[in-house]
Amino acid sequence: PHKATTAPRIPSTRLALHHFDTSYGLHLGALWPSVRAALLCEQKYGALLNNFAAADHVPRELELLNATDFVSEAPQKAQQWQRGAAVGEAATGCQEDSGESRTGLQAEMVTQAEMAPPLCTSKIKCYTFPRGDITRFRPARPDALGFLDYYLMDAASLLPVLALDVQPDDFVLDLCAAPGGKTLALLQTGFCGYLAANDVSASRTKRLYHILHSYVPKEVRDTVSVTSYDGRDWDQVKGGTFHKVLVDVPCTTDRHSAMEEENNIFHKRRTKERQMLPMLQLQLLMAGILAARPGGAVVYSTCSLSPLQNECVVERALDVAGAHFNISVHVEALSHFRTLFQDTFSFFSDCRLGELVLPHLTANFGPMYFCKLRRM
Amino acid sequence: TALRPGRALPAAPGPCARRGCGELAGLRAMGFSQEQARRLLALQPRLGPEHREAAAAQLLLLGLSAEAALALLERSPALLRLPAERLRERAEELRRLGLDGGRLQRAASRCPLLFHVPRKRLEAAVRLLRERCLFTAEQLREVLGTCPAVLLEEPRTLHHQFQYAYFRMGVQQKEMVKARLFQMPFAELRSRHIFLERRGLYETPHKGQTQTSNPKLKDILQLPEKDFLASLAYSTPEEFEVFKKLLAREEEEKEEEEDVDALY
Ligand SMILES: C[S@@+](CC[C@H](N)C(=O)[O-])C[C@H]1O[C@@H](n2cnc3c(N)ncnc32)[C@H](O)[C@@H]1O
Repeated sequence: PHKATTAPRIPSTRLALHHFDTSYGLHLGALWPSVRAALLCEQKYGALLNNFAAADHVPRELELLNATDFVSEAPQKAQQWQRGAAVGEAATGCQEDSGESRTGLQAEMVTQAEMAPPLCTSKIKCYTFPRGDITRFRPARPDALGFLDYYLMDAASLLPVLALDVQPDDFVLDLCAAPGGKTLALLQTGFCGYLAANDVSASRTKRLYHILHSYVPKEVRDTVSVTSYDGRDWDQVKGGTFHKVLVDVPCTTDRHSAMEEENNIFHKRRTKERQMLPMLQLQLLMAGILAARPGGAVVYSTCSLSPLQNECVVERALDVAGAHFNISVHVEALSHFRTLFQDTFSFFSDCRLGELVLPHLTANFGPMYFCKLRRM
Repeated sequence: TALRPGRALPAAPGPCARRGCGELAGLRAMGFSQEQARRLLALQPRLGPEHREAAAAQLLLLGLSAEAALALLERSPALLRLPAERLRERAEELRRLGLDGGRLQRAASRCPLLFHVPRKRLEAAVRLLRERCLFTAEQLREVLGTCPAVLLEEPRTLHHQFQYAYFRMGVQQKEMVKARLFQMPFAELRSRHIFLERRGLYETPHKGQTQTSNPKLKDILQLPEKDFLASLAYSTPEEFEVFKKLLAREEEEKEEEEDVDALY
């Protein structure tokens, strides 16, 4: 049979799902059906509070609805769990030799020390509804000066920002910044000495400007420099200057690709572009590494489940940095995030490098992959 | 109006021992025990004795035992007020539809409403099943025997459920009958099916091809929820609970959207 020109076009969402079934079915195994159903159902949001708005009443309003700030509650919860675990360990430790239980205790102290700092200093507040609760947030409202009270985003998108652990007066680069959710979160720390927000797409940087104007007063906006370079060329502009670099790359945006026809990267026409993504991601991550100063941190993130776009890109970047630029880069463990935020997110426990939030019907955030690197 | 509680009849005198005795004897003669007869008399106390006896007799004629007839009347005392002639005719109609012997008794005890609904409603349901859903006479008998309540349904509802199974799920009539399609409320069927589908465990048929690898309709419908989740959906009650809430909201919002569209 010959192919008629009128042959019904297969929807891109179906192509995407087919692709996911094949590759993620293998990668995630028995977890895939659950992730798949979550991708195909309404996602959950978090409400990132705008510290620049006069909105003192908002936390109270949200708490009345049963929402909680998952960032500030995480360390408290983690301590409770650990106390629980320590009691359990001590109980079993009695029967075993004492050496074992001491290691358990030490491990506990280490993890506590590890997870305390990034969150104590954070002024980021993000409200979410509990597991299984499908309530939606009302749209954001302006305060007397016109600044919106919160920004609705996938709460998992905050994790790369938290992982970056911005310290007072840090110079921060957001290499692929538009539309600006993470840029806004970076500003909420109140710590950015200087923030470079870049995105190659002019139309999307317009949205970034719009967000800055809706949420951030002028004196803070003035510390942000918005540019539209191709991020791959960044090192030619300002190499080796940033304390913190966020590389939130374009990816197959799995949730979008499974649900929306519009602007779908699994459209036949975009096959080439899709196949080139890992290469583009690698180049952007390399540019991010080169933009960091020695000792500086880089967080790489995607909203895809694909190991080719996640771990593999990081591994290649480590190789290339060493082989071509003679730069040594270390991967920093983020496993404490898994402990801290286990109540809010479903983490994949078998990630080779970095952390991956899996969508789950009872906690339908993500997918979000993030991995922290340190330039030596 | 048959379903409405008794209109204000002229107030009957209080329990008249004499009358009670006569009736009691009549019912005993029909095969009710003393105790059963008393229970029967307690139902619809304002009803005339002939009427009560005639109605009870019709039920016994269906082949129900005295205890089964009584249980049915206790669940649905309004039956006693129907003219005995009506009960007889309806039983005849149901027999003609293929509900014979034990099936008729089961159908009557399971859904006494079958005696109340207007005949037109029954006929509409039957026509739909035969002419639009193309069930064979034999399949219809089976459907009625297993889910007599289909006869009470709006034809539109039945058609919708049939089309869903046929087109969306790719199931043939024969399998629908085996699975007792109409026994499960439609919303529940849809939740289970779409849950499987989104999990990648049920493939939607294309161009009328049935996917042979799909789980059997019978299992989807007949397994208790716990087993459905464990052995078909490989999921947890927590997930399914949230899913059902989300799906209900999706449907609601889709309908609202359609309503808005319809305005223009
Ligand atoms: C995942 S989005 C970033 C989302 C953003 N960080 C946020 O949180 O709102 C990826 C962005 O990368 C941008 N991009 C794609 N290619 C790029 C390149 N070569 N250089 C810089 N940005 C690029 C896209 O325009 C897109 O806005």
